[in-house]
Amino acid sequence: MATLPFTSRETGCSFFDRTPETCFVPEDFAGDEQLMVQQAEQFSRKEVLPLAERLDKQEDGLMPDLIRKAGVLGFCGVDTSDAYGGLGLGKNLAARILEYLSLNGSFSVTYGVTSGISQLGLSLFGTEAQKAQYLPHLASGEWIGAYALSEPNSGSDALSMSCRADERDGKWVLNGTKMWISNAKWAETFLVMAKIGGSEVSAFLVERGMPGVSVAREEHKMGLKGSSTARLVLEDAEVPLENLLHEPGKGHQVAFNALNIGRFKLAAMSLGPARDAIWESTQYAKDRKQFGQPISDFGLVRQKFADMAALYFAVESALYRVGANIDEAFAEWGGTVEGNRRAAEEFAVECSALKVLATEAEARIVDEALQVYGGYGFTEEFPIARTYRDARVSRIYEGTNEINRVFLADRLWRRAQEGRAQLGGPGDSFVSELAHKAFAKFSKDQVVVGGLSDLVLLTYAEQSARLRAQRLGGLAQMAYERFVNWANVQAAFAYQTVTGDPVTLPTPNPGHIDPLATALLTHRSPL
Amino acid sequence: MKILVPVKRVVDPYAKVKPLPDGSGLDVAGVKFDVNPFDEIAVEEAVRMKEADPSVHVTVVSVGTSESEEQLRKALAMGADEAVLVETGDPMDSGVVAAELEAVVRQVQPDLVLMGKQATDDDNNQAGQMLAARLGWPQATFACKIARAGDHIEVTRETDAGEETLRLALPCVVTTDLRLNEPRYIALPGIIKARSKPLAKQARATDARPKSRVTTMAAPPPRAAGRKVASVDELIGALRERGSL
Ligand SMILES: Cc1cc2nc3c(=O)[nH]c(=O)nc-3n(C[C@H](O)[C@H](O)[C@H](O)COP(=O)(O)OP(=O)(O)OC[C@H]3O[C@@H](n4cnc5c(N)ncnc54)[C@H](O)[C@@H]3O)c2cc1C
Repeated sequence: MATLPFTSRETGCSFFDRTPETCFVPEDFAGDEQLMVQQAEQFSRKEVLPLAERLDKQEDGLMPDLIRKAGVLGFCGVDTSDAYGGLGLGKNLAARILEYLSLNGSFSVTYGVTSGISQLGLSLFGTEAQKAQYLPHLASGEWIGAYALSEPNSGSDALSMSCRADERDGKWVLNGTKMWISNAKWAETFLVMAKIGGSEVSAFLVERGMPGVSVAREEHKMGLKGSSTARLVLEDAEVPLENLLHEPGKGHQVAFNALNIGRFKLAAMSLGPARDAIWESTQYAKDRKQFGQPISDFGLVRQKFADMAALYFAVESALYRVGANIDEAFAEWGGTVEGNRRAAEEFAVECSALKVLATEAEARIVDEALQVYGGYGFTEEFPIARTYRDARVSRIYEGTNEINRVFLADRLWRRAQEGRAQLGGPGDSFVSELAHKAFAKFSKDQVVVGGLSDLVLLTYAEQSARLRAQRLGGLAQMAYERFVNWANVQAAFAYQTVTGDPVTLPTPNPGHIDPLATALLTHRSPL
Repeated sequence: MKILVPVKRVVDPYAKVKPLPDGSGLDVAGVKFDVNPFDEIAVEEAVRMKEADPSVHVTVVSVGTSESEEQLRKALAMGADEAVLVETGDPMDSGVVAAELEAVVRQVQPDLVLMGKQATDDDNNQAGQMLAARLGWPQATFACKIARAGDHIEVTRETDAGEETLRLALPCVVTTDLRLNEPRYIALPGIIKARSKPLAKQARATDARPKSRVTTMAAPPPRAAGRKVASVDELIGALRERGSL
């Protein structure tokens, strides 16, 4: 696979004190990889988007049919091993394909879960027999899969779950309720986390047809109405002994490592709709006339386009840099259960940073895009209203952004204590300087940790965008410079929150509103 | 049956391109390229014929720079069996392309050449007709339906007067119109498989030179703003004034 033309030699958190000479940028995807991405985009535009309204009504069979169609084209197992019916391609390419299959939120989450976290635990931790039994069905799109961790009383605090498993008469017997389970209505398999004997968190492969397994009614949601979200109810559910995944008491490794990669993938699922919202809103702005001219002529509208482009550019740069690093980690260590665990864990801080960056960029972009539509944006006349609703949950699932913020800086701090990361360096940008200085004030206070996390994720985004702009120049450089203006202000605020000290901002870069807005108004993918 | 499908690398038909400031050509920096959509339809048709009859063998050919390999790989991913790239950076017009294709036809010996009626970059609509003339083969242009009938093929073509169906003896040249089919999504495994399908690169076989030359390229002048009139009478008056009535 020709994804990476060089070895970046980045390790988890190494970005913090060492900017690599260069990194993977989305432009590095090879010609035929881009052809795959093009197929994904066409599938979204021709097969999924025209059905958006009917999908939202959950018309019978519509969504499962789409998943099967996607499966026939090979989309449901892009990064699943080819030994088990997948294509065996990299996670980075899988994420790029996912980005373009995410133009409709409901399809995105259905596809994202069945092609992602429903298979990942199995791929990383399954035995040969388990993988051979389940993966081919999921990778072909013939079956839909689900992932069941959350419960009514344990969301963020997932390990406090009360679902339990007991060995009885040569079977596992599971009891409990799993809450908000995506794909519940359609899934044939559920990766269920439960505590053996009420204490040891373990992972189980549960089939829909096993005795004692049932699915409750659909939740009424504010968005993603076309996706299925429902409770999975386990009442003396009987699961064969061989369906325990990984070791007893090590279910948290399965759950959390699937989530690391899941967060990386969610970043792609968040950027897809954001990218399309930018394009759609520019097209609307060209057509809509007020005061005798297209609204795309107005400075405040153009400023929105420039801001959206800068933000998208920076987060996109970060996303595919992490993906290439993850692929490298799997190439180096993957293959054994222990190696897979290590590879999935290595870039956990970067994955969390991405999750927060991408979902908050998505929120800002779809919000500003909707603003461009004025009153029409608030009605169902255009797809932007749906995109806006569908985007809201991104900041909630796969670990709320608060949970990711609590985790991020703390994890970096702990890595530094273990000698696997460096704090207190000089930094090579305004943002990274502040980040290093602020770590002197590290404490367990959540507000401090949250502020430090902001500094860490801004450092990652600024650096990734800088490396890409160095390679591409032109508009990319402008988008980078505009992003830096914004990131510096955010960083200054976070620094003041952490330290209480005043900050002087550096001289801002030129805003580049006109060239960025003009490029967006003329090209679908200007950069 | 052997089918030869020529494919051309063209600027993505949906990209907005501008002429270079000196008018010598187009500014294609950063612009995406794709298979000429008419050629893609030809590839699709050939692959469908192959699916209906596994003995059909589909070769795709492109005359152009080494970058055309990307378009040939796409055709292979759609299901073509092998590819030939006549590698050249020479300036070409339809006549040169037809001369080169003639040489490839003599080499591959297809029963049918299936090609786009025109390329979306310069819209010449000539290469197919010129190739048929050079070979002395029957031709059917603007095909909207193709059916095999024993050792003949039947081609339905769209004309101003309506649909016309021709029966052609093989070998022959058929050029495709947009309505012939809708090209498939390319399954990802097909794209992976295409990586290992044979693609032969060869030099030009003729010394044909273009008989036409692009002297300058310029963007069309921007449309002047319209004018509003208050009544039909005023409109008629204004049209008279312009000499349009
Ligand atoms: C549409 C949808 C689909 C979903 N799909 C799945 C699925 O397929 N599988 C699955 O297992 N789960 C799924 N979930 C569940 C989702 O992962 C949880 O909702 C999420 O983890 C948050 O848990 P909670 O809702 O219980 O919120 P809570 O944990 O109750 O959090 C409420 C608020 O408190 C904050 N908070 C909580 N703890 C802390 C802390 N320690 N520090 C600071 N702030 C804190 C949170 O950030 C949040 O703002 C889905 C949810 C939705 C809405």
